[in-house]
Amino acid sequence: MDDTGNIVLQIDRLKKSFGKYKVLTDVSYSLPKGEIAAIIGPNGAGKSTFFNLITGYHLVDGGTIRFMGREITNWPRHRIARTGISRAFQVSNIYPRLTTFENVRQAILSQQRRTLNIFTPAHRLARKNTLELLELTGLLPYRDTLAGILSQGDKKKLELALALAGKPELLLLDEPTAGMSSEETHETMELVKRLNREIGLSILFTEHDISVIFGYARKLSVLYQGMVIAEGTPEEVRKNEEAQKCYLGEEV
Amino acid sequence: MKNKYLFPLILFLLAVVLPYIVPEFWVHVLTEILIMGLFAASFNMIFGYMGQLTFGHAAYYGVGAYTTGLLMVKANVPLLVCLPLSMFSAGLCAAVLGYFCVKLRGIYFAILTMAFGQLVYYIIFQWYSFTGGDNGLQGIVPPAFLGRAANPYYFFTLIVVALGMIALWIISESPFGYTMRAIRDNAERTEFIGINVQRYMHLNFIIAAMFAGLAGALWGPFNRSVAPDLCSWQHSGMPVFMTVMGGPFHFLGPLIGSAIYTMLMAFVTSFTEYWPMVSGIVIIVVVLVMPGGLLGLLGDRLPFLRKNERSAKETNG
Ligand SMILES: Nc1ncnc2c1ncn2[C@@H]1O[C@H](COP(=O)(O)OP(=O)(O)OP(=O)(O)O)[C@@H](O)[C@H]1O
Ligand SMILES: [Mg+2]
Repeated sequence: MDDTGNIVLQIDRLKKSFGKYKVLTDVSYSLPKGEIAAIIGPNGAGKSTFFNLITGYHLVDGGTIRFMGREITNWPRHRIARTGISRAFQVSNIYPRLTTFENVRQAILSQQRRTLNIFTPAHRLARKNTLELLELTGLLPYRDTLAGILSQGDKKKLELALALAGKPELLLLDEPTAGMSSEETHETMELVKRLNREIGLSILFTEHDISVIFGYARKLSVLYQGMVIAEGTPEEVRKNEEAQKCYLGEEV
Repeated sequence: MKNKYLFPLILFLLAVVLPYIVPEFWVHVLTEILIMGLFAASFNMIFGYMGQLTFGHAAYYGVGAYTTGLLMVKANVPLLVCLPLSMFSAGLCAAVLGYFCVKLRGIYFAILTMAFGQLVYYIIFQWYSFTGGDNGLQGIVPPAFLGRAANPYYFFTLIVVALGMIALWIISESPFGYTMRAIRDNAERTEFIGINVQRYMHLNFIIAAMFAGLAGALWGPFNRSVAPDLCSWQHSGMPVFMTVMGGPFHFLGPLIGSAIYTMLMAFVTSFTEYWPMVSGIVIIVVVLVMPGGLLGLLGDRLPFLRKNERSAKETNG
């Protein structure tokens, strides 16, 4: 049986070095549709680099990336975003001098392909959608605040909102709860889980917080020394000796 | 919210009334303020809104000026037809040269725009048979229906500049205009929400050049001549000074800057030849005392000037 129809993301033999330093030596990975999965690994293992390659931030040195069966390796960033992969950054990467509302509206206008409109005042467009998304991510009280002066946790929520505004098929979250209080972490991950369940959004995230990893991921992959050294359900990975030695052992 | 149109309205009414009160010399100064104000506002589409400093914007102003000058002198084309053609030729020029500029950012963008500006200057300077070289083009006269007095051409300029400013305002408030702010704020993130940043910057570069071309087109009939200096890098510096003086984070900043700069120049040159020194000192004072320009400074005090733009210093933290 051909199951490529059920695979959102298929990565084969991905390689990336920075100068002589090999970050990813040989990474193969596949993510089924509607899955919620995590990539874990120690600091500097290459998790963010992995996301950077998928979203076109860096060019790959070797290997292929397929999204919904289509090869997207080394496509330009905006094209990858348009094709249905949205991303929230580890270090919040927002528009500091626009308000929270304007931040989200910008991403929505882009998704609606209205950014070439030079005639209609922007404040008349996408208002309802923007407010809905602000509400969903808990940012409504800060709609008129400049994004640059939001708290760390709220910046991360805005990151998530910008990613969701793209109406993606696949959502990549790089440490989505870093800098959040435990309450905010819970809220955010519940939202992510709900989106996964309700609209079948495929989600791949990285995290250091063990409770988040084991609480929300249905599939775990351990990235270590440039390769995926263990993979499976949280229980399987917890029992895996190699994974324990390399990573979990330090923290569990 | 309503009174955001109050300030522009007052300015417009002032512009309508002033020529009836002031001596003819100052009507000429007012005309120049308007033309340079539109030029500076078009520059600010690239500087204030897109976040890139161009040091070659005069090239497009010059191309607009020469398009109208040549068409009027050599082919007797009516001024009203020349204006859109000047926008077109300036836009075409920007489409070619801007293609390369938008690949660069920051100081490299500034240098390449300046280099292309000098290239345009040099071509006009050297192409003696067509452009008149360093002699420029003489005998560009406003259409007969505007007569020979200062006031009619002033009002013609006022209408064209007002329409140009309204068009720029609409663009700056549109989704495209906000995309420019987004690119200024964080070009990288803008790619990840699906926008081809280079292509949008290129489009904005062309739009800005078209309005610079429109401003340039108004210059020839006003001055009765055009000269290659209009394209020089010194002339590209004018909208930079004006915008910094008036405030790059306000739509009307460049126009206000043009008023200050042009009036000061007219005033100072009438009793001393040390204008370059005076202008240098003024610019130093402006940069040190009010980094957000005059409107940035006033905006901190007068809420109706603030709208939804903010001065730079607020958000540096
Ligand atoms: N643009 C770059 N140039 C050079 N080296 C880089 C670059 N980006 C990442 N690296 C290096 O690659 C390695 C992997 O970095 P990466 O950010 O992918 O790790 P990570 O798994 O996300 O770590 P963390 O858990 O701290 O976020 C690090 O040693 C980092 O210094
Ligand atoms: Mg990382």
